[in-house]
Amino acid sequence: MTAALPLPAVDLGEVRPCLEGAIPAIMATCGADGTPNVAYISQVYYVDEGHVSLSFQFFNKTRQNLLANPRSTLLVLNPLNAVFYRLHLRYLRTESSGPVFESMKAQLAGIASHTGMADVFRLLGSDIHEVIEVERLPQEPLPEALPQPPARPNHLSVLRRGSARLSAARSLGAALDVTLDTLAQDLAVRHAMVLILDTTTQRLYTVASRGYETSGVGSEIALGDGVIGVAARECTPVRIMHMTSAYLYSRAMRNSLGDAQPQNTDIPYPGLPEPHSQMAVPLQSAGRVVGVLFVESPLDMQFSFEDEDLLVALGGQLGAAIDLMHEAEAPCTEDEPEAAAAVVPAPAGPALHVRHYRSNDSVFINNAYLIKGVAGAILWKLLRDGQQGRCEFTNRELRLDSSLRLPDVADNLEARLLLLHRRLAEQCPQLRIQKTGRGCFRFEANGPVELEDVAA
Amino acid sequence: MPTAPAPTLLSADHLAMMDGGVSVIVSSCGTDLAPSVMRAVGSHIGDGGRRITVFVCRSQSTQLLRDVARSARLAAVFSQPSTHRTVQLKTRAARLREATDADVPALQRYLRGMEIELTRIGFGAVYARAMLAHRLDDVVAIEFEPELAFDQTPGPKAGQPIVGMP
Repeated sequence: MTAALPLPAVDLGEVRPCLEGAIPAIMATCGADGTPNVAYISQVYYVDEGHVSLSFQFFNKTRQNLLANPRSTLLVLNPLNAVFYRLHLRYLRTESSGPVFESMKAQLAGIASHTGMADVFRLLGSDIHEVIEVERLPQEPLPEALPQPPARPNHLSVLRRGSARLSAARSLGAALDVTLDTLAQDLAVRHAMVLILDTTTQRLYTVASRGYETSGVGSEIALGDGVIGVAARECTPVRIMHMTSAYLYSRAMRNSLGDAQPQNTDIPYPGLPEPHSQMAVPLQSAGRVVGVLFVESPLDMQFSFEDEDLLVALGGQLGAAIDLMHEAEAPCTEDEPEAAAAVVPAPAGPALHVRHYRSNDSVFINNAYLIKGVAGAILWKLLRDGQQGRCEFTNRELRLDSSLRLPDVADNLEARLLLLHRRLAEQCPQLRIQKTGRGCFRFEANGPVELEDVAA
Repeated sequence: MPTAPAPTLLSADHLAMMDGGVSVIVSSCGTDLAPSVMRAVGSHIGDGGRRITVFVCRSQSTQLLRDVARSARLAAVFSQPSTHRTVQLKTRAARLREATDADVPALQRYLRGMEIELTRIGFGAVYARAMLAHRLDDVVAIEFEPELAFDQTPGPKAGQPIVGMP
């Protein structure tokens, strides 16, 4: 985008409440011969303070006019105070891929399903327009007060509280928990999850969630699939205000292994059965996507552009925290005294049968799938070493262990350990991982364990 | 653009929709090909659709009124919020005049139609009253006979010319 644009007299930020789709925008264009044309616009997307993007769905008069004469004028109305704005635009280009296009496509899918026109609306392109001027129109005093929208929290205060909690978090698990706490307590967001990107498999795996029947920790989504996958692949927030579960964008959670692989390794994705609002925000650090923060609601229009701004800002800090946590290896003095005290003597009982498949490091316990991939390989190493009588481990030795096949950069070891820790806590409490400090932990088997290694 | 509008350019169905008090947006164009646009605060369908009046607030429509006065070109869109049914009319012979007391019933009738429409889509009549708030001495009437009409109901067929009814 052009950086050095002079700021318009009225800031485009003032117009953002008008672009939420409550009241359709109207676009006026003009043919080369001076014939005016008016059209309703499905979607006006705020790109930045100097640009908007409009959906290109049909080759119609508006488009014909724009190609001949790039000047257009957009009329929008603020649904809260009935103030009209005119945006004077100049068409620059059409994008048919990339973050703006994908975000608009997802949003349009929501709009279309809401208006029952899902078959009619298809996004051919995102028409990027430069905003030349924003005009706020004079208004007669209103005959009566408009209904006030429900009170909203002060987003800056929420951000500050969330940021303070994140700064105080000493572990990845704590950073994830305080982020979800902030959303639940301060924004009343009841359904949320955090997924972390595995750069080797190009999949996102759930490491924390709130508000679902099952936690879904360990469930996976491929990069590019659904709202979450698109947000990560395109590195753009995706916000949908109306949606039915029928649409392609609503969810994608299949975790399919090849036929030759062990079956039934899916961990169910925890999402809502019929979400109406969704938002996925990419978590970034040092210029790359490390995961996605995702929220949803069974109600329409639950997430505003202000919520998006807040999640992007908080997500920036969470992304950095995720990165920082997996690099921090210096043993920490912050011991958890109850961790050691909680060790109980192993009762006698039937042995846990643990089967490991070498091909994808999937691990089954008593024939039930637990985990696969790097987290599966870690568990297998811990169990094997445990058989030798070891129970204290460090992240550093795992990182140096070539049998775990960790990627060279962004290995997310901390996230994989957290994933393993939470899967064990949910599915197999007889095996447990307990942090004993930063960069070190204890692995305990509360009973006898039988190991079976399968070459396939 | 063809001249000599068909005497019954619009079907009875279209006319009934337009006459029910639905969203009306008007647009014209400057010499620099910059489009001007504003929402009307009222409309009146006269003479079976042959004579149409749309009303705008002068204070909100400076460029539009200047463009219409200069070129007499006008595009007007009538759209029913509850059904998305939409018609666009075009003319090259629009005329301006001051609104008078005689226009008040048309303005009030239009407001009632919009109150009903916005209530249907869950906005409440109060939004219609806020959106269409005006002082009569600030209102300008734009009169025209439609030369061309297009069906603009959203979808792939939007933009098809409406051919007159027999």
